[in-house]
Amino acid sequence: MSAPTTPAGGAPPAGTSDAGTGGAARLIAKLEQELRDLWKPPEDPAATPLTRVCTMNIGVVAPSRELLERYTPVIDEVTASIPARAILASIEPDGGADEITGSATAVCSLSGGKNICSERITLAVHGNASARAASAIEALLVPEIPTALVWLGRVHTDDPVFEDLAGEAHRVVLDSEYTSISSVIHVAAWARGQRNAPEIVDLAWTRIAVWQEMLARFFDDLETRPLASKVTRLVLKQACDPGAGIGPEGALMLGWIGTRLGWKTSRLAGALRLKRADGQAVTIELASVPRPAGVAPHTLAGFMLEAGDDPKAPLLRGSIERELASGLTDQEDTTRDADVIVWRCAKADRAEIEQRIRLGANKAAKWLERTLHRPARDVAFAESIAFAEHIVEDGLTVS
Amino acid sequence: MTTPAPNPLRRGLIEDRTGDPCALVIFGASGDLTRRKLMPAIYNLALSRSLPSGFATVGVARRAKTHAQFCAEMKEGVAQFSRRKPIDPALWSDFERGIGYVQGSFDDPSTYQKLAAHLDEVDKERGTRRNRLYYLAVPPAEFATIVANLREANLVADAAAERSGGPWTRIIIEKPFGDDLQSSRELNDCIASAFAESQVFRIDHYLGKETVQNLLVFRFANSLFEPTWNREHVDNVQITVAEDIGVEGRGKFYEQIGVTKDIVENHLMQLLCLTAMEPPISLSADAVRDEKVKVLRSLRRMEASTIRENVVRGQYGRGFVRGEEVPAYREEPDVAKDSRVETYVAMKVLIDNWRWGGVPFYVRAGKRLPRKVTEIAIQFKQVPHNLFAAPDGGVSPNVLAVRVQPDEGIALRFTTKEPGNATVLRDVAMDFRYGSAFGSNTPEAYERLLLDAMRGDATLFTRRDEVEEQWAFIDPVIDAWRDQAAPPPIYPAGTWGPEQADDLLARDGRRWRRP
Repeated sequence: MSAPTTPAGGAPPAGTSDAGTGGAARLIAKLEQELRDLWKPPEDPAATPLTRVCTMNIGVVAPSRELLERYTPVIDEVTASIPARAILASIEPDGGADEITGSATAVCSLSGGKNICSERITLAVHGNASARAASAIEALLVPEIPTALVWLGRVHTDDPVFEDLAGEAHRVVLDSEYTSISSVIHVAAWARGQRNAPEIVDLAWTRIAVWQEMLARFFDDLETRPLASKVTRLVLKQACDPGAGIGPEGALMLGWIGTRLGWKTSRLAGALRLKRADGQAVTIELASVPRPAGVAPHTLAGFMLEAGDDPKAPLLRGSIERELASGLTDQEDTTRDADVIVWRCAKADRAEIEQRIRLGANKAAKWLERTLHRPARDVAFAESIAFAEHIVEDGLTVS
Repeated sequence: MTTPAPNPLRRGLIEDRTGDPCALVIFGASGDLTRRKLMPAIYNLALSRSLPSGFATVGVARRAKTHAQFCAEMKEGVAQFSRRKPIDPALWSDFERGIGYVQGSFDDPSTYQKLAAHLDEVDKERGTRRNRLYYLAVPPAEFATIVANLREANLVADAAAERSGGPWTRIIIEKPFGDDLQSSRELNDCIASAFAESQVFRIDHYLGKETVQNLLVFRFANSLFEPTWNREHVDNVQITVAEDIGVEGRGKFYEQIGVTKDIVENHLMQLLCLTAMEPPISLSADAVRDEKVKVLRSLRRMEASTIRENVVRGQYGRGFVRGEEVPAYREEPDVAKDSRVETYVAMKVLIDNWRWGGVPFYVRAGKRLPRKVTEIAIQFKQVPHNLFAAPDGGVSPNVLAVRVQPDEGIALRFTTKEPGNATVLRDVAMDFRYGSAFGSNTPEAYERLLLDAMRGDATLFTRRDEVEEQWAFIDPVIDAWRDQAAPPPIYPAGTWGPEQADDLLARDGRRWRRP
């Protein structure tokens, strides 16, 4: 896949500024004209015509222009594989004069000699014009196709901009690594109370999908399957300093295991306890591993599980270890942090089985792209986030 | 019999599909198919995390070679033919640990004893749970020998055992599934002597293509099209499987087979079935295949007289393809100078059922045509009354074209008004292309099909009765040609076939599309 590019000789991202009453409407009209101009046949008959493709709307809202600019290459990379109309808006109610400015441009992927283009509209909203931001974005959405809202920064569900845009979206994409798991829990709880709520998704959930699949493999064998109800001990490892709290990936992972295996949370003198469906306790340990440079804090780094009738003599011991920073640089679609995961399964009466797999590139664009490819509705996420709420509330920390 | 409880951690899991633990045993592991297609496909499944934790590949072939030599050959094949490059050293070292090689002749029982011992070791070391997936990458003449020896060596598990959670055995075979109905039945009987039909996976790589799979989604997940998908609205259907290449050094093979057996009997018939079938009651393998078989049974059988009317064959002569002069078929290496083998065939096929009564399906396949293209075109009826005067006779009918390759996608042609004061009509197309809309690196057909076989999903594989019905339809055509004195008409390479093919449609007042 070649890098996304704006079209050579195409319409430049001409800025358009407007403010005050009627300003937003004029801006939208100008942006629509800019979009039409982008797709006019080229005047030069020898020029390669651009092909516009649009399979969804991707709305991105950031609390600052700087953050939005940092995120723009991520969206450009995503739209190279999911052609879309991307509407990127920085909304700063406390900054600058009351104005809304914007521009439109084509972002083209030259992969395979094709000139497939998405549209990128950038809006900057300041001051009281922020109240009109949702309306302006809604007016620019392409009808009849799905809309994903990517919300960068903290979410307040009583924020009218969020409420209005979320109401138009099919799914709201958050990243608890940048906001917080509490924020995602909060939004998920809000969605549960809405009549036509969008699906809420956390990029951390997509990041742990491989871990879920690998963990499920421990119980695929008919002989080990009954042991799924006899898990005695879990160790979660994350890249962090000792004393740190459980990260979003760890919390979601525990939430997922708990809901799948029918565990219950309980308290003992205020401390969290996890119990299996048969009432037996499950020992949960949170451990830390050193965090190499470039690895995000709280990244899930390992997992160990024991199961059997006797906690001191487990019948099954499974582990999944991530070799942090073991990625490659010479592979297509991989990066230095596309780590290797080593899966091991040892049963009391068998030789240990080991498998190595490579995680996908640990890039924001890849996680967002993968998230957008997944079905919007994911009951397991909704259940897991509700379970994770208990774990986060109790502040499970690295021992 | 009790069905095992499902794995609770699989409930609601959306992650990519993974195969069941197994040992994949490839007979004919020294051949080109293994090196070019199978190993790269397996490696790509490993890269995409679709291989199970318990997995091994065991090559079986006559040539003496060490394990290291075999691994090196496979690595070279993967490096050259994998769609993802270069090889990931961390994954390859793990992948390579699961590769084994058993040398021996296919007709020697000791080969199978060695194989059995090797597989026992693999089960212990790799956790493959006595599950076996045999891939016969060998000429059909070898099938009977291998199948009989597998049975004798107790290397085939009881199909009933799988249903109660025991180990499974499956076998994948490559086309041709016989040479005619009789030989197909003999082949199927031979395989059935060791394997239950539920254990047999007959691979037709066309069914692994995204667009072919999408045909079911397109038809049965969209309420817009199905109501019009019948004789009330469809005028005719045209299915084209065109290649621009010649026999590419395979003259000896092609002399034995011809385009009808190579393409029409299998790929083209499958495309026709998927286009014409009724909605299945579910997406289970047998539900889908039941509906395909009904289509095949509804095909109006042809007799000598109707074959002369409804079937046209041809053979390419010299000509120009993509600007290059190319030789005639009879000038190709290993082709007889007076060869009567057809490199082109066009047929008018009728389906005698409620949905399609009277709607002709025009199908054609050929080599050295102007371009490589496979498409299914549904041509709808004309509007009942034309309101718009136009010098060329008026409104063109709507066409829905499903492009299987290249540029997989779907296009709908309809008529619109040109902007301006006059009412001038023009055809335009709404064009959906996979590559543009999804832009992803689509898996090779073999990846999808191998994974399906590992999971026991036979939906995209052909069942015995399908194969036999296909031959039952094709056999009379081949027999009729055998009795004809005249050789097939020659068409210049780089054209869309002999003139007689155009006449076939002209007689019905229609013409071929130029895809």
